[in-house]
Amino acid sequence: MNTLLSEEQRDALQELMNISMGRAANALARLVGAKVTLSIPRIVSVTPVEFAQMLNDTDVWYTRQSFLGHIRGEVLTVLSKAGCDSIGELMDYEVPLDKDTLSELLLELANILAGACLSGFAEQLALNAKLSMPTIFFPQNQEVAQVHWASTLMMEVEFKVEASQFDSRVVICLEDIAVDTLLQALNRLLE
Amino acid sequence: MPIPVTIADDSLMSRKAVRRALPPDWDVEITEACNGKEALLAVESGKAEVLFLDLTMPELDGFGVLKYLHEHHTKTVVIVISADIQPEAKRLVDSLGAFRFLHKPLQAEQLRDTLFEVGLI
Repeated sequence: MNTLLSEEQRDALQELMNISMGRAANALARLVGAKVTLSIPRIVSVTPVEFAQMLNDTDVWYTRQSFLGHIRGEVLTVLSKAGCDSIGELMDYEVPLDKDTLSELLLELANILAGACLSGFAEQLALNAKLSMPTIFFPQNQEVAQVHWASTLMMEVEFKVEASQFDSRVVICLEDIAVDTLLQALNRLLE
Repeated sequence: MPIPVTIADDSLMSRKAVRRALPPDWDVEITEACNGKEALLAVESGKAEVLFLDLTMPELDGFGVLKYLHEHHTKTVVIVISADIQPEAKRLVDSLGAFRFLHKPLQAEQLRDTLFEVGLI
């Protein structure tokens, strides 16, 4: 599936993801006062076609935020349209959500999830990565080429909030050059 | 006599992390388990006076292991080491009689403090 990583590196990367996503899930669970379940992290290198397909879903909202530092890339948060109202309610937003409060909710959720994921990840690898604020984007309105994380390492995890229909995926896309840095950091950890 | 200790985690890296965090002068015999079933086998064959237990594992998860040990009144000292740190997980683990709930990434000092509290070192 991915020849880029040795079995040991894959295991380590998956476990690091587990730990950072566990933190993100905890942050979300505390915010909404409900249990959050996590999928097993998926680590893949994607082709441009697969990447474009991922951005082709009309049942979800997308946010993106870039990060800079030892490793560079972008975090995409994919949030289901279904269940936004019930999450809003759990977070004391006034429902039904109007356009502005919906944006606010989506950006807040994205920032919490992506922030906890990335910081947990970078911290364990002793790398620094500074995350920008998220923006909502509409891939349908853009050339996929503008989303230029088309053929590189992608790490993905899915969050589901129990007792609501809401689910979300966080996708960390790394620049090719960042993949090398990441592998070196992983190897240090495995020594 | 070395103390029989089992480290149950599906991640090789995490099993290594536990090994590294153990006090170097602690006289133990370590068994490794990659899932809950292997963990229970280790307990039943007397290889786990102390069990370091991950929660998210294939075959049988950590909650399943705790439930079994709880129902069979096993004397194993269980220290849970988990990436799932939600309050709900902790509540469940406590109710099933685990001695401690430690968060990943494991801090060596925290592990030593815990072993000291149990009177193992």
